[in-house]
Amino acid sequence: MNYVSPFDDRHREAEPLAPRQTPLLGARVALLDINKRRGDEFLDRVEQRLLDHGAHTFRVVKEIFSKPADPEIIRRIAGRGDLTVEALAD
Amino acid sequence: MIEDAPIAAAPFELASVSGGVVSLGDLTAAGSAVVLFVTEECPTCAMTLRRLSRTAQELAEAGIQVAAVFEDPLEVAARTARRAGFRATVLSEPAPYEVSAAYELQSVPTTLLVNSAGNVARRVIGWDRDRLDELIEEAWAPSAGSPPRVVADDPPRKPGCAAKSTYDAETLAALDGAGSYDELEEMFERGWSDGLPVIPPTPERVQAMLGAREASTSLGQVPPAMGEATLQRLAACAVLAGCRPEYFPVVIAAAVAALEPAFNLNAQAVTTQPAGQLVILNGPARETLGLNASIGALGPGNRANLTIGRALRLMVSLTGGGYPGRMDRATLGHPGKIGFCLAEDERVSPWEPLHVERGFEPDQSVVTLIACDAPMSISDHRSLTPEELTRVLGWAAAATWSPNWWPLGGTSLFVICPEHAALFGEAGWSKQRVREEMFEAVQRPAHKLRWGETTPQVQAAPEFEAIKKWDSPDDIVLVVAGGEAGRYSAVFGPCLGLQAEIVSKEVA
Repeated sequence: MNYVSPFDDRHREAEPLAPRQTPLLGARVALLDINKRRGDEFLDRVEQRLLDHGAHTFRVVKEIFSKPADPEIIRRIAGRGDLTVEALAD
Repeated sequence: MIEDAPIAAAPFELASVSGGVVSLGDLTAAGSAVVLFVTEECPTCAMTLRRLSRTAQELAEAGIQVAAVFEDPLEVAARTARRAGFRATVLSEPAPYEVSAAYELQSVPTTLLVNSAGNVARRVIGWDRDRLDELIEEAWAPSAGSPPRVVADDPPRKPGCAAKSTYDAETLAALDGAGSYDELEEMFERGWSDGLPVIPPTPERVQAMLGAREASTSLGQVPPAMGEATLQRLAACAVLAGCRPEYFPVVIAAAVAALEPAFNLNAQAVTTQPAGQLVILNGPARETLGLNASIGALGPGNRANLTIGRALRLMVSLTGGGYPGRMDRATLGHPGKIGFCLAEDERVSPWEPLHVERGFEPDQSVVTLIACDAPMSISDHRSLTPEELTRVLGWAAAATWSPNWWPLGGTSLFVICPEHAALFGEAGWSKQRVREEMFEAVQRPAHKLRWGETTPQVQAAPEFEAIKKWDSPDDIVLVVAGGEAGRYSAVFGPCLGLQAEIVSKEVA
């Protein structure tokens, strides 16, 4: 039988994974705080571990966790960072 | 097994997959005929058809007709023969299988050799390589040269299945049900459902929903998976939901409102909160489309209410990929996420309707989308003054989201029943008055709220500072609906933290 699909069946290629960054020594790591409760505490711990490995870190904070990041934030991360760690949920 | 004959072959006339009918006389007009009784469900039949396909071709070239008689409907016979590569004559014998009974069939496959005199010369039951070779040899006898041989592969013999002519009526009915195509089950198998049966979106039904609209027109991408909401896909959702074509303009307006960035459907579609998308319809379309704003306004029983809300939800969960348990991560969800559509009863309301409050004209039909949780009923059959009733309604909402989550930081939608609305109306209270009185009435000292889940504002406040449930009277939204008798209003749980604003769109 022939039916009209409610789905958007167009095939989309998955974004390829970026090459793994090693070593961390000297790498510039963006820590993206999505502004959800206690995400900053998680990033504090991650940041200490990164610093122990010789990485440089900087914080970026989204306005609200439930909406896509402002393009300006993405530009800042892309312009300054080699890596990004995102604290996603509480 | 071979039964020595001759016995007269019972005449038949059966529908052919090539069109028209074929009789036994047609098959034996030029000499012997091989008649093979089979059915789709029998694996030995499938094997026999496959193995005889090449032999049948050679027999046909020698003037010996080969026909497979299926105890199945025509389309099943055609499909099964095609899959087996069987290209000789294919006939369909309908229930109650009188031809099979006339040949006293006990099982399938059964292969008969009918000679030119119209007698059954041989009968081979099941797959039996040697006996089939003998049957062919006998059929071949008048011709020159060596007869073809059937496939020599193992197994040499294989029993078949009972012929359908031997089934009792109950077994036959069950078998027919299992073998037939079930359009409604097909929808579930495709995943085109919210868990309830749907109307299959045939091209004809989708076209009727679309009308003269351009099918490829896009309303935008539906989060979270960002499937494109073409009008055609939205029409498919509306058909699946059970909408009548005249509801479609409301469905379109609801979809346009849902896809406004300010509504933040993306967050609603994936959150662990229970929030669904409530569609509130105002204006003349409520009546022309037959929406129910009266008895059971939030309950079952009305096609327009239920299917308009359901169409929007199917767009989110199917086109948008926000299906529960997949990208929709709602911990509990709520029943309104199947479909959630309310019409305001503007005739009995003492106030301006919601869409007029939001800047539209009374004669415009408007959908307003609010992200919210399930409604909680508030009984009040005792209040005699608007002050009392306001406090009852407001304090019922005090525990929404979480008992100590003050201020709420979001919208509380109240559906005020006609008897409650009349009390306010007779007292001359405007909507704004009700909102302001409720805002002032619901407050507690901070220290009473300082346990369990509470807000940073409560934590930071001096012990006896009064904290209100809402930040502003504007966080309280009032609409009127429900049966004329019974003093039950309702408040809807909020959707918080997502900046999901209320959005209204005119129905085009």
